[in-house]
Amino acid sequence: MLSSLQIKKLQLFRQNELLLSLNETINGGDILTIMGPSGSGKSSFLNWITGALPQGFHAEGEVWLNNNEITDKPAHLRQVGVLYQDPLLFSHLTVAGNIAFAMPNGNKKQRLEIISDALEQLGLKDLGDRHPDNLSGGQQARVALLRVLLSQPKALLLDEPFSKLDQQLRADTRQLVFKQIRQHQLPVIMVTHDRSDAEAAGGKIITLAQQSNTHVR
Amino acid sequence: MSIANNQSSDTVQAVKRLRQHTDWFTRIVSASPKLLLLLLMLPVFGGLLGVVLPAFGWAPALSQYDIGLQGFNALWQTPGLNKMLTLSFTTGLFSTLLAFCISLLLLAAFYNSVWLERIQQILSPILVIPHAAAAIAIGFLIAPSGMLSRLVTPWFSGWQLAPEGFFPHDVYGISIILGLTLKELPFILLMALGALAQPEFGKKMRQQHQAALNLGYAPMTAFFKVVLPSLYPLLRLPILAVLAYASSSVEMPMILGPNTPPTLAVVILQWFHDVDLNLRIQASSGALLQLVVTATLLALWLVGEKVVKFFLCATLTNGKRAYGDGYWLMFSKVLTIVVIGFIALALLGLLLWSVAGFWRFPQAWPDSLTLLHWQTALTQMSEPLVNSLIIGISTTGIAITLTLLCLEFEQLKGKTLSQFTSIIIYIPLLVPSIAFLFGLVWIQQLFTVKVSFIDGYVSYFHTIFAHLVFVLPYVFLSLTSSYRLLDKRFAIVAASLGAKPSKVFFKVKLPQLFAPILIASALGLAISFGQYLPTLLASGGRVSTITTEAITLANGASRRTSAVYAFMQMLLPLIGFIVAWGLPKYIFKSAKR
Repeated sequence: MLSSLQIKKLQLFRQNELLLSLNETINGGDILTIMGPSGSGKSSFLNWITGALPQGFHAEGEVWLNNNEITDKPAHLRQVGVLYQDPLLFSHLTVAGNIAFAMPNGNKKQRLEIISDALEQLGLKDLGDRHPDNLSGGQQARVALLRVLLSQPKALLLDEPFSKLDQQLRADTRQLVFKQIRQHQLPVIMVTHDRSDAEAAGGKIITLAQQSNTHVR
Repeated sequence: MSIANNQSSDTVQAVKRLRQHTDWFTRIVSASPKLLLLLLMLPVFGGLLGVVLPAFGWAPALSQYDIGLQGFNALWQTPGLNKMLTLSFTTGLFSTLLAFCISLLLLAAFYNSVWLERIQQILSPILVIPHAAAAIAIGFLIAPSGMLSRLVTPWFSGWQLAPEGFFPHDVYGISIILGLTLKELPFILLMALGALAQPEFGKKMRQQHQAALNLGYAPMTAFFKVVLPSLYPLLRLPILAVLAYASSSVEMPMILGPNTPPTLAVVILQWFHDVDLNLRIQASSGALLQLVVTATLLALWLVGEKVVKFFLCATLTNGKRAYGDGYWLMFSKVLTIVVIGFIALALLGLLLWSVAGFWRFPQAWPDSLTLLHWQTALTQMSEPLVNSLIIGISTTGIAITLTLLCLEFEQLKGKTLSQFTSIIIYIPLLVPSIAFLFGLVWIQQLFTVKVSFIDGYVSYFHTIFAHLVFVLPYVFLSLTSSYRLLDKRFAIVAASLGAKPSKVFFKVKLPQLFAPILIASALGLAISFGQYLPTLLASGGRVSTITTEAITLANGASRRTSAVYAFMQMLLPLIGFIVAWGLPKYIFKSAKR
C-alpha cells in the first residue's frame, strides 16, 4: 500500500484571522514545499499536524495518515517525524544514545548493530560514543536525520531544516535527506524560505503571502 | 568636533578612574565581599569550633578543662539514642524523598500545560509560611479531634467522642514526615520551575520535550527521559539544603513529633536548656553527632544519585515509549488534589480555631464565631510583634545592602565573585543550624563582656547577627540573577555623562532594581520572621518573637491562642510579599498619569 499524508480542507486561524487554507494529498516519496515570509503561518501549520498548535491559533480541517484520521490524536501517537532547523539532540545522551532513544524497544544487540550500520552509512562511523554538542553542524544535522528516520515515522515534516547550515553543507545535507526520504517512501511536507531548497525538493511548491491570500504555483 | 569632544571626555574618564581609587564608595564596594564572607564564615565555622571544643571536654565557661571523650561516653549511654537517630534519619530522608518525588510527578504530569502555572500560584504562598505555623496547622488537621476526623464523624467513623490519638506525636515520626513533605514540596517545585523559567534552558527543554513527543514518547515518560536528566543538576543543591534542614530542624519535630524519645536535634536543644549545666558537654557531643547524621544523609543521597543513574542509564535509550502513563497521569492528578485539599483544610482549620467560640467534637463548624482570641492575643502580642519587626527589618536591611554592594563589586571589577565565595554562601543552608548555633552563642558571650555598655541591646544585636547567617544566602540568591541581567550599557551611558560610580549605583542601578529588591526584602523578612532556633539561642531566650511565642504556645496553651499566633506568623510574610508585589505596580501606574 502506498503511504500518504492528506490535509483535508484545512483552515488555519491566528485569533480570527485566516492564515492559510489548504487541501492536499502527499504520496510516499513526494515532497510538498510551503514557502512564505515569517509570520505567514508555515510553522504553525506544521505544529498543527504534529498536534502542538500553540495558544492563540485554531484550525478547522482534518489530517489523515495512511487513511487513518489523526486530527485529534495526542502528539506522541501520531507517528509523524519532524526535523527542525535546530537538530535538538539530547545533550544528556551520546550520539548513539540519541538514535537509540528514537528506535522502537527491542533486542539490545540488534539495536546496537542497526545504529552502527546507520552511522557508518552516513559517514558518522566511530562517532557513536561522542557527545552531540561536540559535533560539527553538518554532523549534528545528520544525526538528527538518522534519529527521526530510525523512529520509523509514517510521514516527515521538515521545518527549515537546512537554514542553519552554510552553502556547501546545505546542498550536501539536503541531497542526503531527500535521498533518504525517497528510499523510505515517506510523504513529506517541507517549510522553507529558501528557493534553492524548494527547487531541489522537486515537488509541488505552495507560496504563502503575508496575509491570508494563498497562491498556488 | 565630535571627535574632539570624545577625546576630552576620554581624558575626563581617565582622571575619574584615577580618582576612583580614593572614592569612598569604591572602597566600601571593594571591601564588601570580604565582609560577606566574614559574616557567613565566622558564625558557621566559629560556631562549629565552639561546639567541637566542649564536645571534647574543653569548656572554660563550665570550668571544664579535661580534654577527653566524656561527652561522647555520656551520649552513647543516653537511653533511646538509637531511636532518636533513627527518627532523625528517617524523617529527614523520607520527607525529602517524598517531596522530591511528588514534585517530579506534578512537573511531569503538568509540564507545558496551563495547570502548572496555576498549581504554582496556589503553592507559592505556602513557601512563605514559617515551619512552625505550618506544623501547628497540620497538627490541628490530623489530631484526633482535628478537622479530618470531624469530617468523617459520625457518619463514616461512628465515633461519638474524639478517638484515642495516634497522630500527631506518633512514635514513627509519620506526622513529622507529613509536615516536612508538605512544607518542602512547594520549595522544590518552585526551584524546578525557576530553573525551567530561565529563557535559554527553558526553551531548550520545551523543544526537546516536543521532539520526544514527535518521536512517539508519552508526555510523562518524555519528561522523565528528556527533561529530568538535564534539570536534576540544577535541583541538586536546593534538594541537599532541604535534606540538611529536614534532618536537623527542631520546629516540626517539636510540634508534630513524639517525645519518647524525640529527634536528635530536639533532644540536643533540651540538653542545652537543662538546668544541669554539665549536660552542655553531652549536648555539644550530640551536636557533632547531628553533624554526622546530616553529612551521612547528604552522602547517602549523592551515592543514591549515582546508583539510580547507573541502573537507569540504559532505560533512557531502550526505546520504550510509555510506562503506564495514563495511570500515572491519573495518579498525579489525584495526588495534586489531595495535597492542595490537605493544605487548604489545614489552613481553614487554623482560621476557624482562631475565631471559634464553643466547638463540640464531631461538628465540622464551630457553634459560634468570635474575635475574642484575636483581641486578647493582640494585646499580649505587641512586644513579640515589635521584636519580630525590629529584628526582621534590621537583618533584611543589612542583608540587602551587603548583597547589593557585593554584586556592584562584581560589575565594577568586571568579574563574578570567586568560586569560594559562591560556595560559602550556601554553607549556612547545608550545615545543620543546631550544630553551630550553640558555639556561636558561646563566642558571642565571650565578646559581650567588652561591649557591655549597650547592655540592653546586646540580645538584639546577637539575634540580628544570627539571623543574618540564614537571611543572607536567600537574599543573595534572590537578587543575583536580576543584578547580573541588568543592561550594563545604562551604567556606561551614565558614566560617560560624568556620573560617579556612587551616583550610577544609587541613581541608575537601584531604581531599575526596585522590584527585585522589594521581592528580596520580602523574602528576607519572611525568613527572619520564621527563625526559631537562632532567635531562641542568640538572644538567650530574652527576645521573644511571634515565632518563638507560637512554638511555646503550640505545646500546651489553648488551641485558639495558638491558632492566632500561627496565623500572625503567616500574615507577616504575606503582607511583605503583597507589598513587594503591588508597590512597583502602584508606583509605575501613578508615574504614568
